[in-house]
Amino acid sequence: MRRTGRGYTYGAAVIIVTLSTLVCQLIRSFFAPTNLIMIYLVGVVVVAAQYGRGPSILASFLSVAAFDYIFVPPYLTLGVSDTQYILTFVVMLLVAITISGLTVRVREQADAALERERRTASLYAMSREFASNRGIETLMSVAAHHISDVFDSQVLVALPDASGQLVVQPVPDAAPQFNTQEHAVAQWVYNNAQPAGLHSDTMPGAEGLYLPLRAARSTVGVLGIYPREKSRFLPSDQRSLLETFANQSALAIERARLAEETEQARIQVEMERERNNLLSSISHDLRTPLASITGAASSLLENNETLDRDSRRELAQLAYEEARRLNRQITNLLDMTRLESGAIHVDKEWQSLEEVVGSTLDNLTEPLESHLIQIRLPKDLPLILCDGLLIGQVLINLLENAVKYTPPGSSIEVSAFADSCEATIEVADRGPGLPPGEERLVFDKFYRAKPGSAQGVGLGLTICRSILDAHGGRIWAENREGGGAVFRFTLPFEGTPPEVESEDGITVI
Amino acid sequence: MTDAAVRILVIDDDQKIRQLLRISLKLYHHTVHEASTGQEGIEATILHQPDLLLLDLGLPDMSGLEVIQQLRKWTNTPILVLSVRDKETDKIAALDAGADDYVTKPFSMGELIARMRVALRHVPEPSESPVFETGDLQVDFARRQVRMAGALVQLTPIEYDLLKTLVTHAGKVMTRRHLLREVWGQEHQDQVHWLRVHMSNLRAKIEPDPANPRYIITESGVGYRLLDE
Repeated sequence: MRRTGRGYTYGAAVIIVTLSTLVCQLIRSFFAPTNLIMIYLVGVVVVAAQYGRGPSILASFLSVAAFDYIFVPPYLTLGVSDTQYILTFVVMLLVAITISGLTVRVREQADAALERERRTASLYAMSREFASNRGIETLMSVAAHHISDVFDSQVLVALPDASGQLVVQPVPDAAPQFNTQEHAVAQWVYNNAQPAGLHSDTMPGAEGLYLPLRAARSTVGVLGIYPREKSRFLPSDQRSLLETFANQSALAIERARLAEETEQARIQVEMERERNNLLSSISHDLRTPLASITGAASSLLENNETLDRDSRRELAQLAYEEARRLNRQITNLLDMTRLESGAIHVDKEWQSLEEVVGSTLDNLTEPLESHLIQIRLPKDLPLILCDGLLIGQVLINLLENAVKYTPPGSSIEVSAFADSCEATIEVADRGPGLPPGEERLVFDKFYRAKPGSAQGVGLGLTICRSILDAHGGRIWAENREGGGAVFRFTLPFEGTPPEVESEDGITVI
Repeated sequence: MTDAAVRILVIDDDQKIRQLLRISLKLYHHTVHEASTGQEGIEATILHQPDLLLLDLGLPDMSGLEVIQQLRKWTNTPILVLSVRDKETDKIAALDAGADDYVTKPFSMGELIARMRVALRHVPEPSESPVFETGDLQVDFARRQVRMAGALVQLTPIEYDLLKTLVTHAGKVMTRRHLLREVWGQEHQDQVHWLRVHMSNLRAKIEPDPANPRYIITESGVGYRLLDE
């Protein structure tokens, strides 16, 4: 919009008339006075084109006056000696006014066309931005930006909350004058899907104009527009353009909503699936040892008379070992649940790795019987800061895995070493090793080397990783030279163990 | 198992466990009484004067800890606690409050019987029985000598004190605090790492395979136990 300050334009009109006069003066000797009128007409056209109706009217009158004063005898008076000139004056004035009117209209139409083009371009740009953007927040600030730009207003977007009450969404350049009354108007607009406020049939006394954002299926919210210049706001063609902007925004918002809902639904389905998987895995892995126990115990019951002593003993042993295995499974599952919910409390103390290993071996006497276990811990291994129970669980899981996946009679080695910043513990076996490329995958939930074959939910290694994460350590697996796999994990040292009081070296004989 | 028949009181709200214990213990000709709540248990202790109590920590009306605290006000009857894994702090509290030992559920009968036997054993004063032997380990209190498979072992004073404390309570679990108090005194009862370091040194000297100990067992999260079967 061109701003036309009055003084400035009228002054310009005067200047241009003056210029016309000067030009006429210069060429006076070559042309008859009636021809000099054309120069003035040119001046009037220029003023009309540049400065609008008012100044061009002024220029018209001034041109006639100047022409009369300077170029029509008697010179330097506003009188006329030859009455023909009166006709000249009248016609000149009429022509000047007409031309100025036409020029102004042409100019205004040109301006209007330019403005329409600008707005359409903005609408197009907004639509394109809607197409490429996803989140509702971005969409709203895009809409607000374009609308406030095109319609020279401040813009507000309000979306309903779960109960249908409108909540103003933060957008840049937000309108500040939204009070409870305005909120009521906006709420009415939402509830009735009709515009209200400034320049409308309903509540025209409001601070702004509120349009319902109507999408294909429903009203998604309300658009509030606060023009910077209320008086100049919204001739009818602009109104329909504004409504187009609003509709586009509404459609974009609805689309984004639907996309969000679809995503939510998808995540739900995914979670359901995972939960069902987990549940059936757990069910299988808890029921398997239970089946052995029930079977053995019921067999002992049924056949108490007929079973011989050794068989009875064997069945009882079986039931006992499977019960121990079931207990370890349950421990793993409980640990997993606690780790996932963040409930696990890592109780770090300065532990002797030897002790932790010793406890672990104690817990696994039966499963480890079938293999050759070798422990290699350096004598000068320092105390390690860790939660003894949790790291013990890590070792139990690693050793159980080693037993599960390697042939009976093969060796399993546990070793460790430390440098100044961390201790590294290794569990190595001579089994088939890990499938190449899957060394990281083994730590994922539910991973199983041979699908459906081995026992265990596959959670053991995942739990190990969670425990190591909670300690700030790492765990990883590699294949070994000479065959087999080695699992290594690190525990960082945090500070040094507090000083142990020294004894004098007196020994007891 | 012990030769003498003893009176045992089982305090556990789970009927199946009581049944299991009753059946198993009767094999040894023990008299088994049962109680299913803490209050019942306390009353039954007064009534039946058992030689040993098997107490579940997870009782419905009061915590096992409270039962121990109440009983210990007037009786020294050995108490064996039955508790679940992951409740290490509960076990330590129970032991510190006066319980003699614990078994973790699920437990094996062998473990339970062994601990019961230890709890019922009359603890000999060092002067009564100056030499303690188990496996290849021999401790001579009178001469302050320790031998492993006949060969003398050189221990520092602290290591000897540790071993002596464990031997005095052979077969029973000792909480870390208890050990620290006995060897280092009340004011150092929280210096757990001292205990670990010296325990590690001790094991290195008397255990044939320190990483797979046969004599001094770590009770994870609770303390240590000297095995003596």
